Amino acid sequence: MNKIMYLEFERCIGCRACQAACRECGDHDAKERNYVEYVDFTESRQTFPMLCMQCKDPACARVCPANAIQITEEGVVLSAMEEKCIGCRNCTFGCPFGIPKFDFEKNKMYKCDMCYDRTREDIAPMCASVCPSDAIRFIDFDEMQQLRRRRTQMNLVEGKKPQEGNKWDYVPEFFGVYTDSQS
Amino acid sequence: MFKLEKSFYSKTSMYSFFTILILFLSMWVSTAQFLHIDMALLGYMIGSAVFAIGLVIRMSFWLFRTATNKIATRSVKNMFAKERLKRNAKSLGITLIDNILLQKFIFKRGLYRGIQHIMISWGCIISFAFTFGLTFGWFRFDLVDPETYQMVAFNIPLISMAANGWIAEIFYNMLNIGAVMVLIGVSMAMYRRFKDYDVKVTQRFEFDLLPLYILLAVTVTGLALTVSYKFLDGWMHPYISLIHQITVIIMLMYFPFGKLFHVPIRPLATAVPMSYQETLMVDTKTCKSCAQPYSNDDQIADVQAILKAQSFDLQLADGTYLSDYCPSCRRRMRALKQMNMEAPQGNPYGPVNTNNGIHISGFGKKRSDEYFGIDEDIKKDLKEEKDHEPISR
Ligand code: SF4
Ligand code: SF4
Repeated sequence: MNKIMYLEFERCIGCRACQAACRECGDHDAKERNYVEYVDFTESRQTFPMLCMQCKDPACARVCPANAIQITEEGVVLSAMEEKCIGCRNCTFGCPFGIPKFDFEKNKMYKCDMCYDRTREDIAPMCASVCPSDAIRFIDFDEMQQLRRRRTQMNLVEGKKPQEGNKWDYVPEFFGVYTDSQS
Repeated sequence: MFKLEKSFYSKTSMYSFFTILILFLSMWVSTAQFLHIDMALLGYMIGSAVFAIGLVIRMSFWLFRTATNKIATRSVKNMFAKERLKRNAKSLGITLIDNILLQKFIFKRGLYRGIQHIMISWGCIISFAFTFGLTFGWFRFDLVDPETYQMVAFNIPLISMAANGWIAEIFYNMLNIGAVMVLIGVSMAMYRRFKDYDVKVTQRFEFDLLPLYILLAVTVTGLALTVSYKFLDGWMHPYISLIHQITVIIMLMYFPFGKLFHVPIRPLATAVPMSYQETLMVDTKTCKSCAQPYSNDDQIADVQAILKAQSFDLQLADGTYLSDYCPSCRRRMRALKQMNMEAPQGNPYGPVNTNNGIHISGFGKKRSDEYFGIDEDIKKDLKEEKDHEPISR
């Protein structure tokens, strides 16, 4: 896998197509695992999509007492293994980004797995393939670098001047799973 | 305790030693100083001993994990707390009956899966109990007179029964009943694994399929034994019995290291109602930002301690940790940070200031300094870096 999930929150138009698509993904059991939420409902109707970062060293897996969260060889952090998860919800509190969801009925955690059956074959995950405004994209590493450069230029045009100490505040969210050797 | 520990190679080896010691003593007692030991079961005996050691090693490694250790210590502490006794009994009872005996939560995942799992698990439990009981001599059946069998557990005579009564019949067929249950369950599981595309997404051969094949081999050879001596006059009996013994030993060796290991860790589920719910099924800790209840203090304290022990630095500038916020606020914080929209001054949890200071209303006003300059502390950092230029340059 050499692709990257690229999120631009500002592009989100709040259509929630990604959530509908997520429900359709194999093994997702008709429940969405991603989020579309309001930045601040009292200020504006701006929404943002949110997915799992697929951390290299995931806090969720580290706080799981049952060792139920596995990472695939490609680096995708999977939902809890059903036979191990004891339903303590530690992962939902440990995750710095509030990603894992919990199914109280079936007593297990489930979370964004980047549609593992798709991304494993380098096919875009459901959310990225349906997003009409390109807020969620599944792109090559190089394309991501290009987009980020352009983004920095846009910031300059807008009058934001990134400086040595805070330039990282000016690049959009990107994350993903890719093998270092190929990038 | 510490001294004792020092005389062993490691904690794990100490636990293994004592497990074997206890097993040995229990055998010594229940077989009346090895008088009634069944030497035909020697292979199983050795296999079971290795199984016990493997299990102890895996359990110890699992309990040494920071996360597991935290929740286990808290639960043990809570278990013996006086004021929690009633609650603990209730949690234990509910978990035991709902989750282990009836496995309700699996039935909620689907009726098919429920039946499949309850068949495999209870079949296995029956067979394991019987096999271990007989190999370690924990119980045996003595012929008191030609008509009566007596069940002897730990060398204490218990019930006696007619040699061809229905109770005796059940005991003779206990392993067969278990085997048939497992066979049904395993066939259902295999059918599901082959047919259902959803489970194939994360299925791995060595983890999800191999245990099924092993269980299948054990049950089929075990049932073949019965068929052989009941209907075929013991045709091929010694060979089948040898093959069966080998499959059982393979399963015992595999047990602690593969999927089946979820069985011994399952009881930890009691820790959830026991330690992580101040009031059962009700959240009592509120989010620092939106004040909605989302968890409880004990659990968040544990999560923070676990993360800290593993060097996760998730503390914010104001001293709070990310886990002090509800998941939804955490997501929002991440988005705000990313879009550079966090409220710059004042109350960090207050409404967001969407006036970005770039698009200014009117000519008289100036853009705020902060959009051109660098923060004070960054300025300081940069200057410091100048003072100490890296040697390599
Ligand atoms: S809810 Fe399940 S996956 Fe999450 S920490 Fe608890 S046991 Fe692990
Ligand atoms: S759930 Fe959270 S901690 Fe786990 S991999 Fe995803 S973002 Fe990281």
